[in-house]
Amino acid sequence: MNLFFNTDAATLSPIALFIQADWVVKFVMLGLLAASIWVWAIIVGFGRRIGRLRRTSEKFESDFWKADDIDAFHRLHKDSALPIARVFGAGVSEWRRSTAGKTIDRAGTRERLATAMGAAIASEIDRLADRLNVLATVGAVAPFVGLFGTVWGIMRAFTGIAQAQSSSLAVVAPGIAEALFATALGLFAAIPAVIAYNRFGHGINRVEARLNRFADGFHTTLSRQLEGQG
Amino acid sequence: MDRAEKTGLGIAIAGHVVLFGLLSVGFLATPNPMSLKSSPMDVALTDDIGLESSAPTVTPPAQSVAPDLGAPEDAAAPAPSEAAPQPLPPTPQPDAAPPPRPAPVAKPQPPKKVAPPKPDRAERTPPKREASPPAKKPSPAKSTGSDAKSTRDRPRGSRLGDDFLKGITDQASDSKSQTPSASSVSPQVLAGLEAAIRRQIQPCADRQVNPGPGANEIVTVLNLRLNRNGTLAAEPRVVRQEGVDSSNGRYSRRVIDLGIAAFKGCSPLKLPQEYYQTSNGGWSNLNYHWQLR
Repeated sequence: MNLFFNTDAATLSPIALFIQADWVVKFVMLGLLAASIWVWAIIVGFGRRIGRLRRTSEKFESDFWKADDIDAFHRLHKDSALPIARVFGAGVSEWRRSTAGKTIDRAGTRERLATAMGAAIASEIDRLADRLNVLATVGAVAPFVGLFGTVWGIMRAFTGIAQAQSSSLAVVAPGIAEALFATALGLFAAIPAVIAYNRFGHGINRVEARLNRFADGFHTTLSRQLEGQG
Repeated sequence: MDRAEKTGLGIAIAGHVVLFGLLSVGFLATPNPMSLKSSPMDVALTDDIGLESSAPTVTPPAQSVAPDLGAPEDAAAPAPSEAAPQPLPPTPQPDAAPPPRPAPVAKPQPPKKVAPPKPDRAERTPPKREASPPAKKPSPAKSTGSDAKSTRDRPRGSRLGDDFLKGITDQASDSKSQTPSASSVSPQVLAGLEAAIRRQIQPCADRQVNPGPGANEIVTVLNLRLNRNGTLAAEPRVVRQEGVDSSNGRYSRRVIDLGIAAFKGCSPLKLPQEYYQTSNGGWSNLNYHWQLR
């Protein structure tokens, strides 16, 4: 096996195609390459984060339902960055504030609890889904950017025909190949972005559903507690 | 950007570098293994299409021309005088001295012979036959003189201009003979020559704009006269045109012009010298099938 970098236009070497491209097409290619790298960074990072989130949330939930003392459990997880722990913290702090006074408005407390936990869920989901818009943008725009590079490159190839005064395929072919490489890069960035966007959208929906379920369960527990206090 | 995203970024960059590196590195772009295993193969070089040697036929043509014109040249001296008949008899006399002698001798003879016929008058034919040989004798005797008279027209020949020797040189001109060179060219070589010409005028042919649909179906046979250095000796001449129909007929003239332009553009053709002129053709005078692509 002989290792060498192909700089021949006749091969499908990306380096050769990049080197021989017009500077506009080069710029497009570099941008698409950066977008692809950024997309894959998000995919890897987000995939790892959402997987860890699922595991720790399950553990937190099972620990919560097993715990006897909510205050002690809250003290234990006060500084946790887990969304589910933050929702739990929001519920507990609202409960403490609502029940701190002498008179307790049960209906109002219930409503405030629901609102506080709902707001916590929404903010956690927002924070979590922050990176998805990058995936959506790249998935939607990268093919067009690549197409722009291709159109530019083909225009350049045709002006090359005009200069060479020859319409033979050998004059046009390299330019068209390097131009089409821009579209290939666009698709290369866009396809994983779209797939990841859909997958992660689905994952975030599941996280949200889990948080909602937990919040509902916690809310019923607190409501019961509220009635018992009265 | 938190820790997970940083590691993700690192992994993504490493993955892209590895992927594009692999795509750029040669071993992924190896050509098909069939072409890598190039086994040596036998190539027979131009065995069939070389010059074919043939025995030269000896021809004495060049000599046969000059004597013909030479004889009248002798007679050209009397030619200037219009009253040629009278001077002519004297001239033969000094030259052909013996013939005149018989002539006077012969003159007495006929009277002698006239006497014998008298008894033979019954048989008229034999004597006449006998008489005719003597009569003929004078005629050969006079032949030079009479010959001069008979050929008088030619020498008197005002037809011969001052340049009647044009084209005749001291050397035997072998160019006029039909089969002077000892080699001939095979049809394959002629086809190869045409292909070589086609290859060489291709850049100029590509530059010619196709005048319209159907024009590339017109095949024009152009007669090329080439010098030994490959330049055109004369403008290519149209021998015939094929493939002209009602739809592309209006382009036929244009196709001819384009063909001539292509030849003029790529004019010094590089062709093998040994095929310039052979017994059965060469590229000195070649018919080329011109067709737009």
